[in-house]
Amino acid sequence: MIAQIGLSILLGGIMAYAFSQYAKAPAIGFAALAAAAAGLYFVWLPSHATWLAERAGIGRGVDLIIYVWVVISLLVMLNLHLKLRAQTELITALTREIAIANARLPPETK
Amino acid sequence: MPPNTPAAWVIVAAYNEAPVIGRVVAELAGCGYRVVVVDDGSTDATGALALTAGAAVLTHPVNLGQGAALQTGIAFALRRGADTIVTFDADGQHRAGDAAVLITALAANSADFALGSRFLAATPAMPASRRLLLRAATAFTRLTTGLHVTDTHNGLRALTRRGASRIALRQNRMAHASEILHCIARSGLAYVEVPVTVDYNAYSLAKGQRFSDSLRILLDLSAHRLHR
Repeated sequence: MIAQIGLSILLGGIMAYAFSQYAKAPAIGFAALAAAAAGLYFVWLPSHATWLAERAGIGRGVDLIIYVWVVISLLVMLNLHLKLRAQTELITALTREIAIANARLPPETK
Repeated sequence: MPPNTPAAWVIVAAYNEAPVIGRVVAELAGCGYRVVVVDDGSTDATGALALTAGAAVLTHPVNLGQGAALQTGIAFALRRGADTIVTFDADGQHRAGDAAVLITALAANSADFALGSRFLAATPAMPASRRLLLRAATAFTRLTTGLHVTDTHNGLRALTRRGASRIALRQNRMAHASEILHCIARSGLAYVEVPVTVDYNAYSLAKGQRFSDSLRILLDLSAHRLHR
């Protein structure tokens, strides 16, 4: 029970994070939300995870949960990468304005 | 003097191009163009040499990439009232005379974009690996943009003011070449391809793209589509 509560808190946090990212990265936000919801479901109904894992050829329900966790981690990493790209765009805009404000002109056009 | 080009600006994005930038700028300035060199955080004397040769020089304090540098140059030229903008590679592989051909093609075809194509002209000394890489890039870009272009990574282009104002590059590095074509497709404005000659030499080949760059371009374009 303690492990289930701990995992539920973590997955709930990821769901909140995914929901907050939905506006900027809809595809990733939705996928992370779905994966976290599936993880939460399997944490509380592990027999369903075992049932699904057997049909998916994974073997054990706990393995399925680990796979779901890996998918969530990769999605969060991808989102962080996209956030870095967004930061780079801001730096680019700033750099551009600095470059234009400090343009050096050839003597005849000054 | 280029024909009918009272306010043609040539944008040259340059990163550590000291060996060739002076000659490139001098040739363009000699043709009567207003030359803007965007020094993309070079660690050599690229900016100083370009200024001496007659270019306006914009300096990125840090290296951002060719796409970012071109967008900086385009923004600067538009703010200065440019009617026609030409993008031109810094490594000396383009011919200054071809810029006039592109500008003429804009008016002749009532187009807002004139795109240079090395595959519509004789391009001596193009390595087979480079030809293969460019053909693959062209096929990919045709598929994703719907534009029937023959050379997607040619740095020599001419744009009207209206066309240039529709270009908003977010790809800082090499993926900008594909992004420009996406911007053109989205704009719905007319474009024309014009044969131009690319002079390959040891210097330009050393600076050019490799197969490993194509994977990075694909990743950049894919990531761009995932984020608003």
